[in-house]
Amino acid sequence: MKFTFRVSPNYRDQLSTGRIMRDLTIGLGVIYAFALAYYFTQYSSNYGIHALGLMATSLIVAFLTEVAFAYFTKKKVKTHLLGSYPWVTAIILTLMVPIATSYFALGFGTFFAIFFGKLVFGGFGQNIFNPAAAGRAAMLASFAGVAVTDITTSATPTASIAQLGWMIDKPEAVTKFLDQFGGLQNMFLGLYPGALGETSKVLILVVMVFLIIRKVIDWRIPVFYLSTVFVLASLIAVSKGMGFWYPLFHLSTGGLVFGAVFMATDPVTNPTSASGRTLFAIGLGILTVLIRVKANLPEGVLYSILLMNMLTPSIELLTDGWQIKNVKKYAISFASLSLIGILLVFGVSTTMSYKAPVVPEEPTITLGDPVGIFSDETALAPATVTDKVTEGDIVTLTVSSKGYAVLQDDHSEDPQPNVLIVKIDTVKQEVVSVAYATFSDTTNIGDKTKNAKFLDQFAGLSIVDEAAEVDVVSGATYTSVSVARAVRAAIEAVLAQ
Amino acid sequence: MSIWIGAMQKHLEGHKGLTDHNEIVRVDAGKFVYIPLMSMFSTNIEVLVKEGDSVKVGTMIAKRNDHMTVPFFSSVSGKVVGKQTIMHAVLKPLEHLVIENDGLYEKEQPFSPIDFEKATREELVDFMMNAGIVGCGGAGFPTYMKYKNPQNISTLIINAVECEPYITADYREISNNIDDLVLGVKAMLKLSTAKEAWIAIKSPKKELIAKVRAALVGVSGIVVKEVPDVYPMGWERTLVYQLLKKRYDRLPSEIGCIVNNATTAIAFAKAIRTGMPIVEKTLTISGNGIKNPANVNVPVGVKTAEIVAKLGGYAIEDVLLIAGGPMMGKTIPNDQFVVTPYGNAVTILKTEKIDSVACLRCGRCNDTCPAGLLPVRINNAEQAADLDTIVKLRADQCIECGLCTYVCPSKLDVAEGVRRAKRILQLKKK
Ligand code: SF4
Ligand code: SF4
Repeated sequence: MKFTFRVSPNYRDQLSTGRIMRDLTIGLGVIYAFALAYYFTQYSSNYGIHALGLMATSLIVAFLTEVAFAYFTKKKVKTHLLGSYPWVTAIILTLMVPIATSYFALGFGTFFAIFFGKLVFGGFGQNIFNPAAAGRAAMLASFAGVAVTDITTSATPTASIAQLGWMIDKPEAVTKFLDQFGGLQNMFLGLYPGALGETSKVLILVVMVFLIIRKVIDWRIPVFYLSTVFVLASLIAVSKGMGFWYPLFHLSTGGLVFGAVFMATDPVTNPTSASGRTLFAIGLGILTVLIRVKANLPEGVLYSILLMNMLTPSIELLTDGWQIKNVKKYAISFASLSLIGILLVFGVSTTMSYKAPVVPEEPTITLGDPVGIFSDETALAPATVTDKVTEGDIVTLTVSSKGYAVLQDDHSEDPQPNVLIVKIDTVKQEVVSVAYATFSDTTNIGDKTKNAKFLDQFAGLSIVDEAAEVDVVSGATYTSVSVARAVRAAIEAVLAQ
Repeated sequence: MSIWIGAMQKHLEGHKGLTDHNEIVRVDAGKFVYIPLMSMFSTNIEVLVKEGDSVKVGTMIAKRNDHMTVPFFSSVSGKVVGKQTIMHAVLKPLEHLVIENDGLYEKEQPFSPIDFEKATREELVDFMMNAGIVGCGGAGFPTYMKYKNPQNISTLIINAVECEPYITADYREISNNIDDLVLGVKAMLKLSTAKEAWIAIKSPKKELIAKVRAALVGVSGIVVKEVPDVYPMGWERTLVYQLLKKRYDRLPSEIGCIVNNATTAIAFAKAIRTGMPIVEKTLTISGNGIKNPANVNVPVGVKTAEIVAKLGGYAIEDVLLIAGGPMMGKTIPNDQFVVTPYGNAVTILKTEKIDSVACLRCGRCNDTCPAGLLPVRINNAEQAADLDTIVKLRADQCIECGLCTYVCPSKLDVAEGVRRAKRILQLKKK
């Protein structure tokens, strides 16, 4: 017989950290499945495939980083991975980025999250910042603007209201504003483009209930975080004469609900005492509202989580002691923090004002590489002249040229070519002007070629100079070339006379 | 549960079905019994018999006589053989008085029965002291101490909770001795000077509740209180808070109550009626490491090995042999320890591998600690050898209930860390 000695107790709950992570993964999986369904059905398979590619990129980078770390620190790879849960960080990070994010940017963010966000602190359980939040912040800092691919969507509600100074006090403007996103209801359902996993509040809240029941997350954090934002936003609404839509808008926009359920609840980076987690959640709420309305940053949730992560050790010190004797202290801290929040937000709200939307000016464009009018590039997919009118020396040609929409399939139902009007002086043997009759390519990208800076280049080009060339618009090469192609077709039609 | 503090308790899977209805097996003493000479961790005990003396069941063989009085009795008839140091259920080798059993079980009343209604309170306290009535806390706290000087006591709480998993001995003992329970509680009520006695029983124990209620028909001042099936409801502070919603500093008497175990009341009643002390115990021998889990009735001083053998032996080669329940009981590295008047179980579990991972900092231990401590913080401070923080975190208040380890999803020995911190504090004090 062997009588093993072990310290008591010798009885343990079924619940393990592995199971907690599994439940969390399931919850995140549900959110991701919704995102895939949304992009596949509301946009097109290319968007859906990009969403799949993003997840794959992040997972692969996360695992590779961990494996390499295990290898260099001479740890057993399998045990290290099983105790490090890299996939949770990868999934959360992927769900935080918009569909237009490039694989490279996300891969970079993932590496940062896993390596600098977690491993350098000594690994799982030691990190100060939520790794996914750290990774996302690094992406925002390094790729502002250029983290996008050719895939595009319209502006998010958060970015839109940020432009208006986080308030709208004219009722007509409110309806018009909310209608852009299909109204508040639609925003709660998540049927608008935003970060992959952050849009459907309803679904996230359902998953939250599941996670709370399964004891995966502590109810205190999402409940107190969201309530604080709601109360403070209501305060702003009252002091600025805005309606009930305002606090609801705060709840439904951006990554608030996602962050409250999946990131703020990350046990590693929040306090270990119940009272501490309550204070942590209220702090998050206060910071989120302040950052949104005052710093005017769309990512208020992300930065408030990182800031509060930093305060976690101090909160722990504050709540340390014998809990049952500390109740009074906890209540006082709770009350003072709430009061500070109310005063701050009230003070800040007095400085807020509605910024009426400005009519966007002609976007400035930059010109890139040159393209020859008679080069090989314009020889592909030749344009067709559909109409020709001669008035004295001037010939006016209508040319249909296949642009990005047709050649690259921008996923619209029925892609159409661009139609251009090209005027040529047959005596001077040069191009007079080029203008759009119909533009059919991607808004916000291809339409940069409507800019005079680009089109004016054609004026005065010799129609007999084989080396004639213009500079394309950066970021809109396809559409630029399609214009050059139209000009070539027009010139060839005139020369063939 | 509140906003500030977690539940401070937890429902545990009880596995009580293994032993709560099958027959109680009688285990006789073998050739020798070993009476442990220990009371509340003190071994300052005067032995009243010499080698070769003959003794009977009930003969007083030793006595602790310093600031408290605790008599020890023989559980068999036979001859005193001498002293021997063997492992005790508190996981310390201790001196035991060895008695050779003649198998006749001749009895001798060490004191005479008493009519508790006629006796004065002081006589009754003395009686309780001389009868060696001790609590069930594992170390044998003499019960009479609680009644020596009761002041402003309004409620006597009789603890029939039995919250450790696997154990059903108290439940069986109570159901089989309802009349003694009522008698004992009446006598204790008189001792306590309280107006009312509440018998606390877990709400799922419907059968027992009905039985006790039936026996209390016509008895005034004693009522049954149902309490939820959570651990450690049997701990004084948790129980008192559940019933009175009040907390106390050191002793429940500060807020006007005395807490006693139901089995202690029964032992007291038996002494009152028959003039006999505790010489036998009902023990639960359960767990997945033994072939036939059962409750046994066995004389004090019998070795665990003999009981296990009588029940058909161990189920597997490698077991955790636990003196008590799996939460608070200690694993003993051999099966030579004996039945004591204050223990009520041996739990035998398969030794299973535990895969622990890094602390998730989930705070479950903090939310569940019934003492309201912050076990993970204490563990951190202990690892950092940060004495000031350990003091601030009140590691001294840990009751070693084991709940922090139980709930830890990362499967860490959280309670052991707190225990180490507690030991540091104790060493510091000296
Ligand atoms: S063992 Fe001590 S620290 Fe752990 S839960 Fe029990 S009382 Fe609290
Ligand atoms: S329960 Fe375990 S994992 Fe959770 S905080 Fe306590 S020690 Fe850490």
